[in-house]
Amino acid sequence: MRLTRADRHLLDEGTDVQRKAMGILLTVGRLVEAARLVPITSAHVSGASYKMIGDPGLEFLEDFAQTARVSVPTTVNPLGTDLAQWQELGVPPTFAEKQGRIARAYEAMGVRPTFSCTPYLLGVRPGFGEHIAWAESSAVCFANSVLGARTNREGGPAALAAAIVGATPEYGLHTDRGREPTVVVKVRTKPHGMDYSLIGLVAGERVGDGLPFFRGFRGTEEDLKWLGAALASSGACGMFHLEGVTPDARGARVKGLKSITITRDDLTTAKRAHSDGTEADLIGLGSPQLSAAELQRIARLVDRTPPRIPIWVFTSRIVRDANPDAVGIIERHGGRVLADTCLEVTLLEHRFGTVATPSGKGAYYLPSLCKQKVIFDDVEALLERYA
Amino acid sequence: MRLRARGIVPGRASGTAIASSAVFSFVGGVDPANGSILDEATGIAGERLEGRIFAFPTGKGSTVGSYVLYGLGKRGYGPAAIVNRRADAVVAVGATLAGIPMVDRVDVGGLLTGDRMVVDADRGSVELPDVKAKRVVTAILRNQGRILIVRRSEKVGTFRGRWSAISGHIEGRENPRHRAIAEVREETGLRGIVLRSGGDPVFARDGATMYVVHPFLFDVPSRRVRLDWENVEHRWIRPEELHRFDTVPRLTDVVAAVLGPPA
Repeated sequence: MRLTRADRHLLDEGTDVQRKAMGILLTVGRLVEAARLVPITSAHVSGASYKMIGDPGLEFLEDFAQTARVSVPTTVNPLGTDLAQWQELGVPPTFAEKQGRIARAYEAMGVRPTFSCTPYLLGVRPGFGEHIAWAESSAVCFANSVLGARTNREGGPAALAAAIVGATPEYGLHTDRGREPTVVVKVRTKPHGMDYSLIGLVAGERVGDGLPFFRGFRGTEEDLKWLGAALASSGACGMFHLEGVTPDARGARVKGLKSITITRDDLTTAKRAHSDGTEADLIGLGSPQLSAAELQRIARLVDRTPPRIPIWVFTSRIVRDANPDAVGIIERHGGRVLADTCLEVTLLEHRFGTVATPSGKGAYYLPSLCKQKVIFDDVEALLERYA
Repeated sequence: MRLRARGIVPGRASGTAIASSAVFSFVGGVDPANGSILDEATGIAGERLEGRIFAFPTGKGSTVGSYVLYGLGKRGYGPAAIVNRRADAVVAVGATLAGIPMVDRVDVGGLLTGDRMVVDADRGSVELPDVKAKRVVTAILRNQGRILIVRRSEKVGTFRGRWSAISGHIEGRENPRHRAIAEVREETGLRGIVLRSGGDPVFARDGATMYVVHPFLFDVPSRRVRLDWENVEHRWIRPEELHRFDTVPRLTDVVAAVLGPPA
């Protein structure tokens, strides 16, 4: 890999942590045969839920935080519980204590304590063509596809290293070539609601680590957030194109590519395939965390059809604090609005066995990460069913 | 003998090998408290990583593996070096955090637990001071989806009575491709053979000898084979039937090197 004088300086003269961070970038660069490091404008690190990273992750982060400082604006993924409500959730005190230490370690490194999988809803909106180093798969898919920014799906420590150095190996989705579609996906049905999650799940299963070029439908930013999160769960996809909608779609070369079709039947089959529960003990909304508009909409729906089983709504601290009315309505009906955490990285398995959700990413990960059975349906249908 | 490798994490280390042919995860695969192997599928469960050269094909599993490797290194229970067939980011980043030298692009199937090894990630090499290399060619002959295997006679020097493909020793600086063509002609009498491809060398181990097998694939126009003294019997089989025969070491991998993994 070609190093600039500044890279070389950091490697030779930097602090221990800077040299180690540079070492990680060089290791990754050698693995993927990157030509050089490219400067980044923001980083987003994963590996913040104690449930996911455990004692080995906590130990590493606390050691690193003694001297590590990020050099670009950096946000971080959700924690394993809401630290303001953990007692009410029945979370064991040792879990909460260690979770708090992870949060403090990131803050000590200068990371903004967003604890969110949706940095793009919190003012971190990289522009078209900007290079960034993000580690959350759903946010990576959103940034590449919807914003036209450029990032690979970084591992947690690699994204942290990039945040410290301010650069990342240039390969894959950072390059024009790596952003070319590999397969055309024709959608032959008009999607609404959870259909975007279903399209993502079906496409991810079929294209694997390919890069899909969708055609045949449109969607809002929020719709594409759900599509991308599901696509990045069932497939190893860091990006998609949507004809006439996403910025990189114009000029993408699709001539001669293999083409596959997704029909209404495919969506129905996928919905059934991810529903293995019979009776839910919890309705879980989030994964990714809800936007302000989504939170307000859920509050209206809950007010109209209050559920008889608990409902947990996951959003960021910023959105929760800015929407006290919506939070008040949901809590009045016995629900909870949880911040700083998200559906499948939070502790559920200590209390629940079956979760009802409209999230494709949630339906994909709840069985393995939270040992839950799943009822997978639109939020209106779920509220109706558990009214 | 010395093997070429690709340096992934800089540094140099020597030690005794602990080798597994199973894909490995540092999450659940090893006790983070003391570095003893837990995963039974490795065939080396109970062995300790400390100070050893850990050879396995590639890593799998979540990013937490990086942190586990970091913790092992910090407490002095980590391996002295890591050798992979194909490095993955989780293990490579963990090795970087722990300061453990690491190389890849080594066919770890030829390494045995107990081998003395020197791993040099800066120069890109792995040295096995107690092992001698012998270079051989193996020719996979294909006719309408079937491949030729032959049973070695009692008169040959090694692997008597075992099933093999057409093979022979490479002499001095001889071009392996030329040797392969010559062996096919001598041992089968076939004419009109067409060389289709060659594969990366496969390391087949027999005690202190490492056979560096250069695989080649030929299409042949006929199944009428005339064996010479080296082989006593022949069969045309489908590649997936290979496991039913008592073969020379790693013949399945040699076949896969030119035909791809079995379906």
